Amino acid sequence: MLVSYNWLKYYVDPKLSPADLAEKLTRTGVEIAEVKEPMAGMKKLVVGEILTAEDVPDTHLHKTTVDVGEAEPLNIVCGAPNVEVGTKVIVALHGAKIAGGHKIKRGKIRGMESEGMLCGLQEIGFSESVVPKKYADGIFVYPEHSDVKVGDEVFESLGMTDHILDFDITPNRADTLSMEGAAYEVGAATGSEVKTEPVVLKEDGEKFDDLKIRCDEKLAPRFYMRKVTGVKVGESPLWMQTRLWNAGIRPINNVVDITNYVMLITGQPMHAYDAKVFNGQMEIRLAKAGEKLTLLNDQELELDPQDIVITDGQKPVMLAGVMGGKNSEVEDDTTDVYLEAAVFDSTLVRKAALRHANRTEASSRFEKGVNWDNVEKAINMAALLLRNEAGGTVLAGKIVASDTEKQVPVVKTTVSFINKSLGSDISADEMAKIFKQLNFEAAFSGDDIAVTIPLRRWDISIPADLVEEVGRIYGYDNLVSQTPVLPEVKGGFSEEETKRRRVKRFVQGQGLLEAISYTLTTEEKATLYTKEVKPVIKIAMPLNVAREALRQNLMTGLVDSASYNYARKETEWAIYEQGRVYDKQDGFQEHEHIAALYSGHVYATNWEHAEEKIDFYYVKGQLEELFASLGIKNVEYRPEAIPGMHKTRTAGIYIDGQYLGFVGMLDQLVLHKDKPLKGAELYGYELDLDLLGQFQVSGTESKPAPKFPAIERDLSILVSESTLNATVENIIAEHGGKYLNNVQVIDVYDGVGIPEGKKSLAYKLTFLNEHDTLTDDQVVKAMDEITSQLASQISAEIR
Amino acid sequence: MDIYEKLKALRELGLAKIKETTDEKTLNQVRVELIGKKSELIGMLHSLGDLAPEERKEVGQKVNEIRDLFLELLAKTQKEMAERILQAKIESERIDVTLPGKHHQVGASHPISVILEDLENLFTNMGYHVVQGPEVETDHYVFEMMNLPKDHPARDMQETFYINSERLLRSQTSGDQARVLEKWDFSKGPLKMVGPGKVYRRDDDDATHSHQFMQMEGLVVDKNISMADLKGTLELIAKHEFGADRETRLRPSYFPFTEPSVEMDVSCFNCDGKGCSICKQTGWIEVLGAGMVHPNVLENAGVDSSIYSGFAFGVGLDRFAILKYGVDDIRDFYTNDVRFLKQFRKEEQ
Repeated sequence: MLVSYNWLKYYVDPKLSPADLAEKLTRTGVEIAEVKEPMAGMKKLVVGEILTAEDVPDTHLHKTTVDVGEAEPLNIVCGAPNVEVGTKVIVALHGAKIAGGHKIKRGKIRGMESEGMLCGLQEIGFSESVVPKKYADGIFVYPEHSDVKVGDEVFESLGMTDHILDFDITPNRADTLSMEGAAYEVGAATGSEVKTEPVVLKEDGEKFDDLKIRCDEKLAPRFYMRKVTGVKVGESPLWMQTRLWNAGIRPINNVVDITNYVMLITGQPMHAYDAKVFNGQMEIRLAKAGEKLTLLNDQELELDPQDIVITDGQKPVMLAGVMGGKNSEVEDDTTDVYLEAAVFDSTLVRKAALRHANRTEASSRFEKGVNWDNVEKAINMAALLLRNEAGGTVLAGKIVASDTEKQVPVVKTTVSFINKSLGSDISADEMAKIFKQLNFEAAFSGDDIAVTIPLRRWDISIPADLVEEVGRIYGYDNLVSQTPVLPEVKGGFSEEETKRRRVKRFVQGQGLLEAISYTLTTEEKATLYTKEVKPVIKIAMPLNVAREALRQNLMTGLVDSASYNYARKETEWAIYEQGRVYDKQDGFQEHEHIAALYSGHVYATNWEHAEEKIDFYYVKGQLEELFASLGIKNVEYRPEAIPGMHKTRTAGIYIDGQYLGFVGMLDQLVLHKDKPLKGAELYGYELDLDLLGQFQVSGTESKPAPKFPAIERDLSILVSESTLNATVENIIAEHGGKYLNNVQVIDVYDGVGIPEGKKSLAYKLTFLNEHDTLTDDQVVKAMDEITSQLASQISAEIR
Repeated sequence: MDIYEKLKALRELGLAKIKETTDEKTLNQVRVELIGKKSELIGMLHSLGDLAPEERKEVGQKVNEIRDLFLELLAKTQKEMAERILQAKIESERIDVTLPGKHHQVGASHPISVILEDLENLFTNMGYHVVQGPEVETDHYVFEMMNLPKDHPARDMQETFYINSERLLRSQTSGDQARVLEKWDFSKGPLKMVGPGKVYRRDDDDATHSHQFMQMEGLVVDKNISMADLKGTLELIAKHEFGADRETRLRPSYFPFTEPSVEMDVSCFNCDGKGCSICKQTGWIEVLGAGMVHPNVLENAGVDSSIYSGFAFGVGLDRFAILKYGVDDIRDFYTNDVRFLKQFRKEEQ
């Protein structure tokens, strides 16, 4: 809501400058997003009267002379289509400043002298959305009979010598979406008295009885209607137009403007129908399937059975609470008008506005609630204005189609409860003063308080609401500031989180940058890089297909990031993400994962050494270090096919036979689909942290470092090419005896000298007895057992 | 030449030989030559029997003296030689210390993690528990329990990704509050928790909107919790994050799950409250929302609101990171441009 400071002063004296008032309101109740002074930055703009105007041949220009109250009229060349002799217009004089900081100077246009400029409202800072349509493509023309003098500055007559406060309200404070409501808020904040005037309406026509209204009270708990006849539709007086446009509403014609004007004052949305459309019938009901309505903004609606409509007894003529229909629009030839002031069901109005993507000034008020007390005042005020400003005759009486009673709530609380909640020590007297400032009736009796809440503050219903009212007017700045004094309790993280952090720290220490990517992705990406795809969780109404499904892997996000970086020629990096994956295998599941992706080289290319590419074994090594640091043993790597990963360069990782994740090269066939990643060599892994956590060893039982030396033996064997290292290592480990301490591959070779179909493997075996000196015999025995088992189990030839 | 003269000559000759030796190999030859088993000097020891007994002792002593002298000199010379060689080696090993070092990749926490972990440390140090709940939440916990019944207008403020009529991607972390409140045994002490995590809203991504972001929820419930406690706690957060010299203000606001509700602003750290483009000329920057837990929220979780009260706050971690690091596009947090991420290496990990 845009609130004019000048207009506000009509109801309440804020006793503060616009800027100070804005700060005060922000601190006590409603955030003032901005204070604007419409004339700021403009100067030398005066009222002029066009004395002569002639078309310049072969152009759209007009050559005019304009009286600006100086000795000689000015010669001004103007391109606007609506230049008319005898009209009063806005003239920017030589040296004037208009919107955007533009300066107007005397000069020549197509060789013709021009001593100023005739202005449209947009050119002097008005928003396109408030400029009356008839002046939208031309200059502004003062309405006939406007009280302006040639040569006067235009600012006052156009409402620009004002300050506009932008009330950025929260949904509970819709009571301030009106001048009266804003005034009450200003009164509460500043302690000034608020004056609102009752409407004294003189009815001068015959009795209003030509309309039968059937109203569903559930849809419209209050529905009042009046009739005004003999209305002359035309332009509104300038004072009303300025108030409207300063409030951000475009003037249309006097009838529509009056309904908007009344809404601005009272907060009660109004509507005016052309009476000739109705045949004595009107109905307020839900729309029927298949019904259609074209709105005032030319939007064609297929109505929904949950839309409230007003009908002429047959067809809908208005989407209730949202916008009127084209078929009942007040037009230039309208003479008799039905005026409606009603309260509609807030939820249905909100849903209708959402459904038809048409949120209006009216619907945004109805959905947050309106002051039921103001329905009558609004309809009388609108009728009065139609009589005074549009020459209408107000028929006697109004039709009350529904008039549901609304109780004035009384909220009971205590002085001590309020103080306890605020941590304050405010006296009963002080509280009484605050309630008076709020214009609430409060009865104090000892500690007890009973507050009668006016209907204009429908947001207040429980004691906590009164705590807020007292607190905000008392001033949150005046509250004590302390941290809770409570029994000491031990805080901290869950065990799972502590374990995850350990992993993150380690991985980061290995040089990886932490990434965060989106949970939502395409269904295809959601299930890539996943050994067993589970049922995918999908969004019912996704914003777009790229964000339709919840990921079952983190790798896809890292690959998206890889693409982003490759497109920017960044190819030397390693990133990881720790986050959740989601599925609905058995109900909705969330699991913590970690994934890492490596690109480029182990070392940045250096002046001294050749670059070393990141490969499978580098990444696997990083994982092995991670597992070792977590105390995890029994990790097994098996060749595994994972969608999205290189078929022959990927391993499934198992702990105690359970699938933990994978490590490998990214499938280039998949990457090729993404242009920046064509030819990229990426390696990575993804692990299930929930499972890893179960094996993570916390706590260390220390042993002294071994005091006896270890003995090393090399073992070189010839095996068939397809034999896996793991197979050999397993045999060595199984038959190496209790002193075998470590097995390390030192060479893999299948070049010159090795028979076709064979390869040579060499291992360094370390034997250690932690408690005694190892004898050569013991080692020889172990080696003999190992070699004979290798020979018998996998036909290894010992070299 | 008598035997003494001979000894003297051997001594002189030996000393001269040692002196003129320059390399280790020659020195070894000289050693053999002078004091080896077959050397003239040592040979004299073998022929001592030819001498008169009184001479025997004297000559024997003399020979030993000369041998010791040679040994000493040889050792000294060898040591000097070794040092010289080492010196020469060191000299030959000179490198250009101004050439760059060798680099591994260096890791870094994501800026949002930096902010989150910093806040978590602040709160765990004050005895708060860190609680994490599901992101695929029920309508019940995210809305109903938080005093947002179906059709509540405030549900408009946070358009939500629904999965079905009951399940959704949470639009706020408040659901964690309800889950913890429901189970809390107040006989074991006050409830103090923070709940960080990802949240999702139906926003198209642009510089200031993201359909996914991170929040941290805080909740304290006990018998005598007041707005004053909330105010002090919020000021602590603001000053911890944005500097002790920041001024703060509380503004009334509205959240369905708190009453009263407030938002906290800090004085703009760019212009120090004078007004600039960052604070939109107001001098203030909004940093978080908070309030006293709405009695309905307590009651919904089975907590007696006539006995217990509490405060809750919600921090937008992306917003904190944007403000703290001067990030001007929220999408930078999720595209993972490594040039962006590397900047945060200097933050405490």
